[in-house]
Amino acid sequence: MKGMDRTGIPRFRVEESVLLKREVAKRVFAKEFEACRELEKSARPDSDNVDLKTPNLLISPLGLVLNRIFAVGVITELDSIGTQSEMWKARIVDPTGAFTVYAGQYQPEASIFFSAVQIPAFIAVAGKARIYEPEPGSVFVSIRAEEANVVDGEIRNRWVVDTAEQTVERLEAFSDALASGYHGEKLREYLQEKGFSFELAEGISIALERERSPEEFAKLLRASVREGLKTLDFDSGDSRGSKADQKEFVLELLREMGGSRGVDYAAFMDVAISRCIPEEVVEEVIRSLFADGQCYEPKIGIIRLVG
Amino acid sequence: MDEKIAPHLEELTRAFGDLEKTGIRAEFEKLLAFRVPPDVAKESILRKFGGKRKVLKVKDLFNNLKNFEITGRILDLGEKTIRPQEGPSKLYTGVLADETGSVMFSSWKELPGSVGDVINIKNAYTRIWQNRIRLSIGEQSLVSKISDSVLPPLSELSGSQTKKLIDIGAADFSVGTVVCVLQLSHREVLVRGRQFRIVSGVLADETGRLSFTAWIELAGIDIGSIIRIEGAQVRMFRGMPSVNILSSTKVSSVEPEEAGKLAFTFESAGKDPVPLKIEEIDSRDSMFDVAAAGNVVSVRPGSGIISRCPECGRVVQKANCRVHGKVESVRDMRIKAVLDDGTGSMSVMFPRELAEIIYGKTLEEAEQLMFSDIFKDAVYEDLKRFLTGRYLAVRGNSSKGEYGISFVAENAWVPEDDLAVRVVELLRRLGPDEGYGQDRDSQISSGGVGLA
Repeated sequence: MKGMDRTGIPRFRVEESVLLKREVAKRVFAKEFEACRELEKSARPDSDNVDLKTPNLLISPLGLVLNRIFAVGVITELDSIGTQSEMWKARIVDPTGAFTVYAGQYQPEASIFFSAVQIPAFIAVAGKARIYEPEPGSVFVSIRAEEANVVDGEIRNRWVVDTAEQTVERLEAFSDALASGYHGEKLREYLQEKGFSFELAEGISIALERERSPEEFAKLLRASVREGLKTLDFDSGDSRGSKADQKEFVLELLREMGGSRGVDYAAFMDVAISRCIPEEVVEEVIRSLFADGQCYEPKIGIIRLVG
Repeated sequence: MDEKIAPHLEELTRAFGDLEKTGIRAEFEKLLAFRVPPDVAKESILRKFGGKRKVLKVKDLFNNLKNFEITGRILDLGEKTIRPQEGPSKLYTGVLADETGSVMFSSWKELPGSVGDVINIKNAYTRIWQNRIRLSIGEQSLVSKISDSVLPPLSELSGSQTKKLIDIGAADFSVGTVVCVLQLSHREVLVRGRQFRIVSGVLADETGRLSFTAWIELAGIDIGSIIRIEGAQVRMFRGMPSVNILSSTKVSSVEPEEAGKLAFTFESAGKDPVPLKIEEIDSRDSMFDVAAAGNVVSVRPGSGIISRCPECGRVVQKANCRVHGKVESVRDMRIKAVLDDGTGSMSVMFPRELAEIIYGKTLEEAEQLMFSDIFKDAVYEDLKRFLTGRYLAVRGNSSKGEYGISFVAENAWVPEDDLAVRVVELLRRLGPDEGYGQDRDSQISSGGVGLA
């Protein structure tokens, strides 16, 4: 952010000479991601240098320019949609909405992963953003997964906070841009002077030209991020990390004891306590499982996992 | 002047300046003589010599830049004749400097100036040569002498420039700096058959750290000393600058009174580096001893158990070393992973000791996995399952190459910053509730965190 920009030499124009530079995996919430649209090659400031190797880029209503994305969330749905060849479609939920993720024969690693993953689970996905517009007005934004893995609740919480941080920075730059009243080149200079990266300054100035009611989306996202942050749960004492682990452990224990066939609640509690899990934690996990419809009570005193 | 070509010449003048002096006019006429239509001729000249180009300063140079413009004063100039068998060809080499630094150059054409003159080069490019960035002036470059330049005079540019450590890079030869000695050790090295006693260690100021090597005695200087270095040489090693203290270098202690006014103390400079955004690491050619944190977005092939040549340490395939032929290879473990924090991404190399820590398996345990599985990539697959998506912090050295940043980790850990504190700060930045869109989202949110 500092070095090169201070001289007024734009970053990605200078760096275009760097071969095959890896695209950064942007952190973005589902709500902002699904509102992304294609950034046509001709609309880019460096359009003279665009060739076949230039990556496809999307732009969000807030001016985030992206090609690769890294997302962490709960996998809630998984379908095998391939007919001739293997193709997986997954839905990954974050606090603001859901990502649609695809993995097919050209993403062998991710395909293998999806063929074996258990639902629900926290998963991390790195992949390329894709846009499909079968007809004007209906746009489908998805992730073509390159890598995917199961992660724990701690990593998921951290992703939410990291993503919120980068989203808030963008929101602040965006409001700043709106308030300044500048446009185009003038706006870019203004934002860069304020310390925002060239890429973001460029993105915001393009986004502002495209959006009809830019404040509207910013407001919506702001509310959504705020709500998302509030639902994060790590305020019960200092054992934040270990608590998340304990929850995972409770769920694991329930599966181990035959949770899908039904387990006696009292017996389960005894085993859990014997393994140093506090009673409250067990109750809490069971309650949240009930709330999500992931387990039910076929008979009084018996709990059974769904699926 | 022909009506038809006038507008094209005008455009070329805008792009290149004086057409007669730069030889563009001649180039253009030549194409016209071959019946190239004027607009096509203009296009090809713009393409060949680069119409829209960036103007750079010496400090902005890095490897593989093409088609830029630079102005500098010649500090040194020499010529050598090469390839005599194909007819004499002369290469002009020297040093070019502006107020931001100095750079070695080589030119295939004679320059319109000599030592002390300011020249402007259009369509220059850069290469790495002997570990350093070299400014190249090729057949297609346009060089002109500038008589009235605002650049500092020769005496000022050729002196050693005083810099902060973070600003020292491949574009520097001789630098001066005021720093604190963080680490220092003596060792004996053998150079061209002679035994030398050298001092090496780490220097620091408020902007960063760099390693140093002294080929002279540093009397009265030890860890914690605050020193002024003048006329030190900058040496490049694996893309990393290092301060070389030679017999021509002046090293003196900074008086306590003056040291008190500095922006750093031994204590502050010695603190562990604060993790930087990868974007910031990406804005520099190299960084010594810095920290960063991000998610492992990919574990690269070549991670896991590898075989090395016992002689040279090179990775070998089928017990065949590129240099030493058939060898009794030794097993080693390493991890190459892409760490990404959303602002930048870098390829991080974890040597065995760190690989064992972050993987949670020793080399021997990994070997057992390798032998017990029919897949030869069992360890790599296991590593991917274990690491992909994880959050890691690393500390080490970064350098930028053709494929982006490569980072050699010297330490790695799982960061434990308090998320709750960050959430409170974020909620403050987001401002108060506007009661908007809340109901819509709460439903989805509860679904999303139900498992937590």
